[in-house]
Amino acid sequence: MKLGTGMFRKLIACLLCALFSLTGSAQELSSDASSSAEDFKSLDQEVQALKKEVLDLNRELFVLEEELLFPANTQVAVFVSMDVGEFFALDSVTLKLDNKEVANYLYTEREAQALLKGGVHRVYIGNLKAGEHELIALFTGQGPNVRDYRRGATIKLEKGVGAKYIELKISDRASKAQPEFVVKEWE
Amino acid sequence: MGLRSNNRSVDRRRALFALLLPFSWLIHCEVASSAPADLMSQPASDFALRSLGQENIRLSEQLGEVVILNFWATWCGPCRQEMPLLDAIYSKYRRAGLVLLSINIDEDEEQAAEMAKTLRVSYPVLLDARNEVAKAYELGTLPLTVLIDREGTVRYVSEGFKPGYEKRYTDTLRELLNE
Repeated sequence: MKLGTGMFRKLIACLLCALFSLTGSAQELSSDASSSAEDFKSLDQEVQALKKEVLDLNRELFVLEEELLFPANTQVAVFVSMDVGEFFALDSVTLKLDNKEVANYLYTEREAQALLKGGVHRVYIGNLKAGEHELIALFTGQGPNVRDYRRGATIKLEKGVGAKYIELKISDRASKAQPEFVVKEWE
Repeated sequence: MGLRSNNRSVDRRRALFALLLPFSWLIHCEVASSAPADLMSQPASDFALRSLGQENIRLSEQLGEVVILNFWATWCGPCRQEMPLLDAIYSKYRRAGLVLLSINIDEDEEQAAEMAKTLRVSYPVLLDARNEVAKAYELGTLPLTVLIDREGTVRYVSEGFKPGYEKRYTDTLRELLNE
């Protein structure tokens, strides 16, 4: 059966329409693909921003918790640091405040190395009312030739309105032979 | 007739009470010993203790490894049975990343040292004479064995010891090492 001219024209027209619609949908697909890639990118950026917000919030909550538990007007913090020329392996630090043991910290080799490299450790944070107090600090360790050291220091504290920060530096600079406590109060 | 039946029922109640009384102690122990189950899936409490080798060991420095904590005392019979088996597990799995910390709760350090030497254990023995770590882990029945995963979470708690328990430790340990 032969196709008439009219039929043939209609067939061509249908084929052309089908071709155009396919082209259109291909363009849509490619634009969809590029828009989804953009969506992913913006989603990723949103997630990163959200993570940063969470970390910032966590940090703020931590600071707030400390401020609530240890308000500045009653806060007292004791730090330990080391400044030794000769080898000294710190073993432990014990703190007594007004005759009550408040801290007893055992240092591992890793922690002692960190102190030797300049690290500062907050060994105690607590609350004290204003007035006179007594802090007794004791450290034990091993010096050169596997010699045991045990040293103490008694510090009279005058607690005022603001926070009190005390640094206990284990140093052998003064005596050049034996490690001793050097007490420093931060302003 | 009524009086006799009353007396019989009272006697029965007394007999039942006398029978159940010894078991009430066991019920109390069950309640007390279920407390360490609260540790499951919780972050393991951090601590630092002195070891028999004189070095200080901190739990949080073992993060990334699978850790077994074993609480024991020199007067504990099942502990003596368990320790050589734990030593065998330690020898086998230490290269795979197992850390075993044995925690003694005796007041006398020398007794602990002597027992560890007699049993020839190769893992570190830590001394908790003040029982501060024992309290943190809600120690009730000895021995207490706690398995901690690489992220520092308690995954298995076992109180007491009977032959065959070491297989449970090994099964859980293999799972944790494979994570």
